[in-house]
Amino acid sequence: MNSKYIFRSIIAVAILGMASCKPELSTITPSKGSADFSRYIAVGNSLTSGYADNGLYLEGQKNSFPEMIATQMKTVGGGAFYTPFFNESQADGSGYKILKGFTPAGLPIIGDQNTNTAVRTTTPTVLLTKYVGEINNYGVPGIKLVHINIPQYGNLNNFYERMLPTDFPNNTTTTYLNFVTSKPFTFFSMWLGNNDILGYATSGGANPADQPTDKNVFASLYADAANKMTANNAKGVVATIPDILKTPFFNTVTLNSLLAAVHVTAPTINTIYIKTGKNATRAATVKDFFVLPLASANLIGTGAVPYGLFPSNPVESQWVLDEDEAGIVSDYVASYNNTIKTVAANKGLAIVDAYALLREYGAGKVVNGVPISAAYITGNLFSLDGIHLTPMGYALVANEFIRSINSKYGSSIPIVDVTRYRGVKFP
Amino acid sequence: MKKILLSCLLALPVLGYSQSFQVNLQGQKQTAMGGAGTGLALDEAAVFFNPGAVSFLKKNGVQAGISPLYLKTAFRENGSNVTEYNKDKIATPIMGYAVFGSPENRLRFGLGIYTPFGGAMHWKEDWTGRYSVTSLDLQAIYIQPTLSLKITDHIGIGGGLVYSLGKVDLRKALPYTLNDGRQASAKLKGDAKDFGWNAGIYVETVSGVSIGVTHRSQVTATVKDGDAIFDVPDAIRDRVPTKFGAELPLPATTTLGLGFQPSDKTTLALDVNWVHWSKYKELAFDYNNNFVSPPSPRNYHDAAALRFGIQNQTTNRLALRAGIGYAFTPVGKGYVTPEVPDANRLLLSAGIGFKATERFNIDFSFLYENVEKRNETNIETQLSGEFKTLAYIPGISFSYKW
Repeated sequence: MNSKYIFRSIIAVAILGMASCKPELSTITPSKGSADFSRYIAVGNSLTSGYADNGLYLEGQKNSFPEMIATQMKTVGGGAFYTPFFNESQADGSGYKILKGFTPAGLPIIGDQNTNTAVRTTTPTVLLTKYVGEINNYGVPGIKLVHINIPQYGNLNNFYERMLPTDFPNNTTTTYLNFVTSKPFTFFSMWLGNNDILGYATSGGANPADQPTDKNVFASLYADAANKMTANNAKGVVATIPDILKTPFFNTVTLNSLLAAVHVTAPTINTIYIKTGKNATRAATVKDFFVLPLASANLIGTGAVPYGLFPSNPVESQWVLDEDEAGIVSDYVASYNNTIKTVAANKGLAIVDAYALLREYGAGKVVNGVPISAAYITGNLFSLDGIHLTPMGYALVANEFIRSINSKYGSSIPIVDVTRYRGVKFP
Repeated sequence: MKKILLSCLLALPVLGYSQSFQVNLQGQKQTAMGGAGTGLALDEAAVFFNPGAVSFLKKNGVQAGISPLYLKTAFRENGSNVTEYNKDKIATPIMGYAVFGSPENRLRFGLGIYTPFGGAMHWKEDWTGRYSVTSLDLQAIYIQPTLSLKITDHIGIGGGLVYSLGKVDLRKALPYTLNDGRQASAKLKGDAKDFGWNAGIYVETVSGVSIGVTHRSQVTATVKDGDAIFDVPDAIRDRVPTKFGAELPLPATTTLGLGFQPSDKTTLALDVNWVHWSKYKELAFDYNNNFVSPPSPRNYHDAAALRFGIQNQTTNRLALRAGIGYAFTPVGKGYVTPEVPDANRLLLSAGIGFKATERFNIDFSFLYENVEKRNETNIETQLSGEFKTLAYIPGISFSYKW
């Protein structure tokens, strides 16, 4: 009967329609714009290497922002990208910190993960297992801008030594800048300079060997580095130095948190005494920054004259970046960043304002439903060392690099999905 | 017949939607006519469309139908080149109506079981928006005993009490990663039992135009003591709640419908719906354990839908139907969420009615919904990207008249 035929046709059309009914969004064709990503290299320090949780380890390396950028660059003609990964069997790398739980008072218990480290010897100094193979991610934890032209630097930094073909102590001729530029490259990212002020800040200004790099020396070296990187017409992106004073390293242990802990046993105490960088003892104010390791050092209130609670036994200078020292940090960071922006503008490089970016996210922001802030552990942005980023934090940085590259060079590298990357791991 | 009705009920329907999470698939004839039918005394589904028209039905009858709903949504985060799709999952809104009492009497009785609100959105567990939602199953089955009274030969009024059985199952990822790399997640499951009403008036004018006005009340689906199942790391397990409460307004709908019969064989219907969505201000969960979770703003606004349908009784046994409609979204800029990625939508429908015997009818419908592309950044989650949804909804119902 005719109607049966119609029913069958309708069912057939319905099935066909349902099978082909995937909604389409307008097609996106990523393009490389005026840049060439066929060999991208990443130059920088711990932030470039993927350092996190106070260590460099395989998972961190895999989640470095250059790895993420390089993966996205492949959609616009980017080439292979090699990071000097630790072996799977030595995945703990240099060893790193892990969260083991919380005390009944809600304070984190931090432990060490170092069962499968990549330490090849500890005498006469700690050396890491050599990496053999191609390198695109040249991130070296600890390197300062002031180190990039030192021929013996391979003997001074075991993260750098492991990339070099020659063993310690015979690395006396390979400067970092020459090493990274020894093979042709078409595009680079350079994020250097953080350590020229970071060591001063994290040691509470107390380490005579780790004072800020002179501003003029910094400016001169940064221009040298940019010249060398662009000598063969490579295009690139550089980044500013983050606001160190906004990291959890300086904002987790506070005057108020210390006093609150003291009040449990000594409710009348309302002053913490500190030793300043100028060797003066005075009462701490909210403008002084206590460093994160003071929490696990468990010093406050200990001893016959309770530590930090009396002028005769103040908190030592290494645990506190006092107001004056914090001013020095701010001043140097601002100066370095002016240099970086000026050089980038002169050389026509894309620039990532990491200072502004991490302040913005650090102040509290929601990303795809994830609350992000500079809060220690719960903020999803900073790893357990309070300075370096979580994989999610690095993903946010990677996207900012991509946006900056796209806007400078007219490319359309797709961004990474930030939600695929984690914050701090919980037991 | 009984068996089909029973199996439909046992299928525990999960629902699709046709304006935000409102479902407009309540009768196969009306669905085939763009969802219009308030101004007509067409069949037993008048229990839903206009209780005032029930007393104008020529015969008593019972019908049961189902509309398997295939909904496909695409999402692409702004700046990304990856398009993500929701999972293929067929939702099955059901409908069943009965009209009884003597057709000669002025007073008639009706019973309706239908699903006016629901949602079934399932994303992949690792998709970009998983911290907003990974899946939502929402269903409200309304059971509506109805009285309809013909006041004069041309005016009928009717009303029904609505007993609503609601169910919600909402899942999302939480931004905590376990040591084994697993993602923490939350699942909220609860039931609601609530009351509402449905009333209408039906007027046949001398000009041949019939007019219907109906109002279905808001039902506030209230979940008490729902299960909050959190899969979180041990380190924070003692801080998460185990129970929740929530209220979800299933908004009132006011409809003006017109019917017109230009010839013996042809029937036209036009409906204008006004859905009082502005009552849906926020989605708030009230947890035990002092767990703090700020309400999620929705700030819906009232929204209209226009529906036009035509039926042609081509032969004694065969009726052909078609319809077109347009539904305006109640979701304002910045409030689009991936559990209901709503936008204005175009509805196109067609259908066939087949009279197998004098008493036994089969009706088919097919509804196509094209939801406009929408690029949004959600104010609360900052999920930013483009959504596009298409829905294909075939439907079938069986009816028996006496």
